[in-house]
Amino acid sequence: MNSQSDALRRKTAEAIRCESTRLDSGLTVLCRTMPGYSTVHAFYVTRFGSVCRDFTLDGRSYHLPAGTAHFLEHKMFESEEGDAFSLYAKTGASSNAFTSFDRTGYYFSATDRIDRNLDILLGMVGQPWFTEATIAKEQGIIGQEIKMYDDSPDWRLLTGLFRCLYRSHPIRDDIAGTVESIARLTPELLYACTEAFYRPANMVLSVAGDITLDQAVAACRRAGLDRPAAPHAVTPAPFAPENETCRRELQFTMPVNKPCFALGFREQPIPYGDARADILADLLPELICGGLTDLYRKLYDEGLVNPEFNGETISVDGACTVVFTGESATPRQVVELLQAEIRRLRRDGVDPELFTLVKNQMYGEMLANVEGVDDAAESLAGAWLSGYTLAEEVQALATLTAQDVNDALQRMLREENAAYVEIQPQG
Amino acid sequence: MFERKMLAPGVYITTLDAEKFNRCRIAIHLRYTPLRRTATDAAVLPLVLERGYAQCPDMTALSRKLARLYGADLGVDLGTAGTDRVLTVDICGIKDRFALAGEDLTRAYADIAFGIVFDPYLVDGLFDPEAVRIEKETLDRRLQAEFNNKRLYCVRQARRRFYGDSPAGIELGGYRSDLPGVTPATLKAEYDRILRTASIDVMVQGADADNVAERLLQALQAVPRAPRDFAGAMAMPVTEPRHYCEAIPGLTQAKLCMLFTTGTPEDLPSINLLRMAMSVFGGSTTSRLFRNVREKQSLCYYCGATALRATGVMMVDSGVEPGREEQAEAAILKEWQDLCRGPVTREEMEDCRRSLLSGMDALGDSLAGLESWYYGQITRGEALAPPEYGRVLINAVTADQVREQLNSYHYSVCYTLTRAGEGGEPA
Repeated sequence: MNSQSDALRRKTAEAIRCESTRLDSGLTVLCRTMPGYSTVHAFYVTRFGSVCRDFTLDGRSYHLPAGTAHFLEHKMFESEEGDAFSLYAKTGASSNAFTSFDRTGYYFSATDRIDRNLDILLGMVGQPWFTEATIAKEQGIIGQEIKMYDDSPDWRLLTGLFRCLYRSHPIRDDIAGTVESIARLTPELLYACTEAFYRPANMVLSVAGDITLDQAVAACRRAGLDRPAAPHAVTPAPFAPENETCRRELQFTMPVNKPCFALGFREQPIPYGDARADILADLLPELICGGLTDLYRKLYDEGLVNPEFNGETISVDGACTVVFTGESATPRQVVELLQAEIRRLRRDGVDPELFTLVKNQMYGEMLANVEGVDDAAESLAGAWLSGYTLAEEVQALATLTAQDVNDALQRMLREENAAYVEIQPQG
Repeated sequence: MFERKMLAPGVYITTLDAEKFNRCRIAIHLRYTPLRRTATDAAVLPLVLERGYAQCPDMTALSRKLARLYGADLGVDLGTAGTDRVLTVDICGIKDRFALAGEDLTRAYADIAFGIVFDPYLVDGLFDPEAVRIEKETLDRRLQAEFNNKRLYCVRQARRRFYGDSPAGIELGGYRSDLPGVTPATLKAEYDRILRTASIDVMVQGADADNVAERLLQALQAVPRAPRDFAGAMAMPVTEPRHYCEAIPGLTQAKLCMLFTTGTPEDLPSINLLRMAMSVFGGSTTSRLFRNVREKQSLCYYCGATALRATGVMMVDSGVEPGREEQAEAAILKEWQDLCRGPVTREEMEDCRRSLLSGMDALGDSLAGLESWYYGQITRGEALAPPEYGRVLINAVTADQVREQLNSYHYSVCYTLTRAGEGGEPA
C-alpha cells in the first residue's frame, strides 16, 4: 500500500504541477502553466457565499437579507462605463460568474488579449458601482432566476431538506434569496459587503493554460493588488451549534410526474483545512449507493429509483450535510433500504475491494480535473478555499484507509440526525 | 494534426493528436436512418448496451472494471445528425504513463468500446431478457421525468407540434406507448439493422490507432454490411404561426418556446454563417435578445436562440413571469424583425465574431471539443479541416449574410407553459 501510495503521489504530482504566491495585498495567486494549450482560464473568487449573512465591519454590525452574495455577483458586472460583458466582447473572451453557499466566483476563458482580460476581471470586481436604479433593474432579472429554480424539483428538495435539518444556519435560505429579501438591498449594504468580503486577503486568483505566474502577478500589479490593502476589521459572526433536527419530515406537492425524495443527514462541520475529512465525506455516499455498489444495482434493477439517483456531501462553514436524492414511485422503500445499508456497513465495515476501487476512481477524477484549463483553475482555487493544495488533497486520498471509513460510519449518518423530504405530484 | 482513413465502404478511422492531454479517448460513431416503428427499440438499445458486453456481461462488474482503470468514463448515447441518428460509444481514461502498476490501459479501453459495439451480451442469440425488461422500465421512467424539467418539456412539446409526423419528428427518446412491444428479438433486429446500415466513424485520440483499426476490421468481418447514404437536409413547410398554451397548476415561471422554419432545404447556409447569425440574435451576451429582452426590459433570466442547419429550424426559448408571455413573445419577434429589416451594426458583428473565434481557438484544448469539431464536419459531409480553417470562414461572414439568414426564417410555432388559472387552456 505504501509503495502504491508513493507511486500515486509521484505520478499525480507530475500531472498537477502548480505555482503560487501571496502578494502584499494578501491576495493569493495560483497558476498552472499548461504547455501546448491555447486557452487561458482565469478564476477570481471570494470566500463570500449565501451563508455569509452576519458580520461586523470596522465595528459596525451588519445583517444581510437572503440572496445578497448572489445579487452582488450580478451587480459586479456593471460599472459606470458599462457592463463587463461589453468589455469582454471586445476581447472575444467568454465570461460568467456563480454564487454558491460559501463562495462567489468570476471567470473568463480566452485565447487572445489575456492581459486585457485579466484587467477587466480584476477591475470589475475591484471597482464596484451600485445605484438604486441599477439595483431595481437587476431585481426583475433575479426574480425570474429565483422563479426558474422554484420550478426545479431537485432544488426544492435540497432547500426543503436544509430547512428541516437546520434551525438557524443560513444554509436554510435559498442562495438567490427571495423576491422579498432582495427587495431590501441598498447600495450601502452592497458596498459594505464589498469592503468586507472582496478584500484581497479573502480572495484567490487562479489561472491555468497558456499563462505564467509572472503574467498573472503583473496583472495584479496593474490593478494595485500588489500593495497592502486598506485595513478593515472584519469579523463574520460565528454559526450557532446545531444539535437537533428542526423537523424530521416535510412533504409538499409540485407539478411532477413521480414522487421525488431527499434523505439528508446533518453532520459535524468539517474543520477548515482538513483534506482527509473532506475526502472521507465525499467517499461515503459512493461507498453506500454509488454505481459500484450492490445497493445501487438493486435499486436500479428493481426500478426503485431513476438513473440519476445519487448521494453527495455538501460542506460549508458551520454545516455539513450528506444528501441522497432521487425520483421513485416508492420513495419510503428506497429510504428504508438506504438506512438498512448504512446500518449494515456500520456493523460489518466497508468491502476493502470496493473501497480501493472508489479511491482509484477518485484518483482518475483528480487527473481529469487538471486536464482542461477551466477545471484546472477551478480545482486549484477550490482546494485553496478549503485550506489545502491539490497535492495535499492527493496525499490525503492516498493515506485514507477502509478503517477510516469504518470509524467515520460510527459517528456519521445517524438516524437521529436525519430528515426526509418528499415531493408528491400535484393534483 | 489529424488523419482520416477509409478502412472499408462506410467505415472510417480518424486519428487526432492528443499529446498534451493526461487522458486518451476512443469514440465509435454509428450514423443511421431512424424508423418511426423502431424508434423505441433504438432508444432502449444504448441503455442495454451500456450494461455490459459478452466478456463482461454484468453491469456492476463493468462499473468496477472501469473503476480499476482509474475511473475511465464510458458513454453510450444516442444523438441526432439532421434527421439521422448517431449511436456513439466512447471511452475516455488516463494514459498508460499514469498507470500505477504499468497496466496497458489503452488496450483495455479499446476492449471495452469494441466489446460494447460489436460483441454485446446475448442469450440464445438475442439480448438478455432481464436486461431488456429493466431498461424498458428505465426508459419509461425517463420519458415520464421529462415533465419534471419544465424548460425541456416546453421545448419538446413545441418540437412535437412543429415537426408533426415528419422524419425529423421521430422522438429520440422513443414512445411510451411502444414500450410494451420492445422485446429481446426486436431489440436485436434494430441492433443488427444499425450495424448493417450505419456509416461507422471511429475517432482515436491518444491511443494506438493502428491497433484500433485492426480491431475494427476484425470486428467487421462478422457483420454483413450494406451502409446507406446520409439523409439529406429537410425543412418544415411555411405555415401561419400556430400558438399552443398549456396550463399547469403550481408552475412558478412561464416558459416559452418559439420555432421558426426556413421552409426549404435548398441553399443550406454554412455552419459558420449560422453560428454568427445566432450569436448576433440570441446566442451570446452581446446578442440582441440578451441585451434588450433580458438586460433592458428585465423580462426574463434566460432567452436564447439556436439553429439547426440540416432541419432548417431556429429556436428561441425563454422563462418569463406568468401573464407576460405575450409581451415576451412580442419583444423577441421585434428583435428578430429589427435584425431582418434594420442594420446589423459593425460593432455587434465584430463582438460576436471575436467570441466565436476565441471559442474556435479553444477547441484544441479539449479532447471532446476536438472530436466534436471533426465529427461535425464529417456529419455535414465536409472535407476535414482544422479549427484554424473555421477561423477563416468565420472572418468571411458579413452583416448582409447574417441579415439574409435571419430573413430566411418564418415564424411557425409558439408553445407556452403557464400557470393554471392565468388564462391558459389545455394545448
